[in-house]
Amino acid sequence: MTTFGFLIKSMFRRKLLVTLSMLSLTTAFLLFILLRSVAVLFSGDFASVSDVHMQTASKYAIILLLPHRYGEEIAAVEGVRAITFASWFGGVFKEGDDSAMTFAVDPSTYFEVHENYQISSEHLDAFLELRTAAVAPEAIMERYDLEVGQKVPVTSSIFPNINGEPWTFDLVGTYSSENEVEADYLPFLFHYEYLKEATGVSDVGWYTFTIEDPEKASEIAHIIDSKFENTADATKTMTESEAMKNWMSQIGDIGLMMNGIIGAVFFTMLLLTANTMIHSYRQRIPDLAVLKTLGFSNNKVAGFMLFESLLFCTTSAAVGIGIATLALNGIGPFLPTGFVLAVTGPTLIWGTSIALGLGLVIGLVPAISANRLVIVNALHTK
Amino acid sequence: MALVNLESVWKSYKKGRDRVEVLNDISFRVNSREFVALMGPSGSGKTTMLNLIGGLDRPTSGVVTVNDVVLNSLSSGKLARWRSESIGFVFQFYNLLPVFSARQNVELPLLLTKLSRKQRKKNAALALDIVGLSDRARHTPARLSGGQQQRVAIARAIVADPKILVCDEPTGDLDRSTATEILRLLQILNQEHDKTIIMVTHDPKAAEYAKRTMLLDKGKLVSSLLQSEVGAEVET
Repeated sequence: MTTFGFLIKSMFRRKLLVTLSMLSLTTAFLLFILLRSVAVLFSGDFASVSDVHMQTASKYAIILLLPHRYGEEIAAVEGVRAITFASWFGGVFKEGDDSAMTFAVDPSTYFEVHENYQISSEHLDAFLELRTAAVAPEAIMERYDLEVGQKVPVTSSIFPNINGEPWTFDLVGTYSSENEVEADYLPFLFHYEYLKEATGVSDVGWYTFTIEDPEKASEIAHIIDSKFENTADATKTMTESEAMKNWMSQIGDIGLMMNGIIGAVFFTMLLLTANTMIHSYRQRIPDLAVLKTLGFSNNKVAGFMLFESLLFCTTSAAVGIGIATLALNGIGPFLPTGFVLAVTGPTLIWGTSIALGLGLVIGLVPAISANRLVIVNALHTK
Repeated sequence: MALVNLESVWKSYKKGRDRVEVLNDISFRVNSREFVALMGPSGSGKTTMLNLIGGLDRPTSGVVTVNDVVLNSLSSGKLARWRSESIGFVFQFYNLLPVFSARQNVELPLLLTKLSRKQRKKNAALALDIVGLSDRARHTPARLSGGQQQRVAIARAIVADPKILVCDEPTGDLDRSTATEILRLLQILNQEHDKTIIMVTHDPKAAEYAKRTMLLDKGKLVSSLLQSEVGAEVET
């Protein structure tokens, strides 16, 4: 028998009680990881967007379009380097499925502004040449089992095709992003001109542009918004990272809600687990007195209690995090394109810290009590 | 040569506002390889004295010296280490840890040593062999009789090879024949394995196995007689 073996066996002296308590805590950590992943998704912190990129959209709602002529006026502002635009198309690739991110763009400028996107010259040339051409990121290619060269039928509730049939795009290439996380959020892209000709809509969803000096972002935003302030199409200009967060926040303060639920779950778990540990300690007072009698020091016996508590919490956390990771991987394919639920590094650090903190907090009282246990009194406790 | 030496030992406890005197100016010696029985009525201070000798408690005043170590001066950490090296304890209710097997219970004190896992296991098996329980090594206390549990407790007490065994009513929970077996085992440990044994007992029959009997009453040492002297006193 080793000291570790001794501790494990001591911990499971009441197998059912300890196993059920660990399962409760495992469930709490499972919930924590799932809810934190949702909170992270809605916080927008996951998106790798640079403050060199800025976005001008309608002041009132991202779904409202802006006049095409705004592009030239924004491009003329000092400090603006390159500009492009896009319109939200809301494409549905498979009947009954949710819409995937599908943008109508200007291929000649889109990849110039989004310089972190990678597309081969062959695919870009093909995209530029054909009016019905489209390019798709790997995530969408895999999800809908698409191949370069095929025709892709897509429907849209925002821009329904006049003939009532699905839109048909010629998939001429793929593209990717230097950033692995961002790669999962890339949209399906097709010609804005194709949309414009077919629907007669000449306005655009938003403008994205790069600036020369990120420190002048606020100044440039102010200049642009001032230009259109007293028009029917007032704008709101932000860096791309601000825009992402702004869009997410329109759904609601999901992060706050999630953190609230997580807090309630852990507070309950703290009380329940602390109760289990104190109950376990009280039952073991004679055993602890025996250990002290045999020569285990006060600190050693206290350390055993603390270690047990930490082991209890970290094991529960590890199992909970493991199941949550598997669950997130499992539900990933069923989420709309662009929505990726993943266990991030900070979430893991939070989970580990909570497990250690919880272990210390709930182990502290039994540990201190064990340290102060008077052998001659405790030996005869039943 | 005195292995245990108590000099003017006083012990009192606080009970509410009052102080209860448990031991009053006790002085005595126990020589190496002695087997001493401590007798006396309930509340006479027998167990308190045993606790002082075993380093489980400290005197209010006076000096307790065991194997040339003055226990009063040791910190709680050093006292714990001293206990692990120098003393074996046997209790009335065995005090075995219920989830562990007999062998694991015996092995417990060895977790504090630097012995290898293999050596610990070997020593525990040897101790169980000495008390005649090799065939019950894998049994948990719940699957052992009272006498067997006490044998395991004795094996645990001797596994680290201490010089002294302190036994608090080791036969108090056992029937006569089992008690006799345990007492014979203690006698063997005393005579053949050179263990110094100090045993608290209410039972005069149990005290007969000791070489000397000390009688305590109301916290004072009333008499200290060799076994032959006890017999003579009873006759007179």
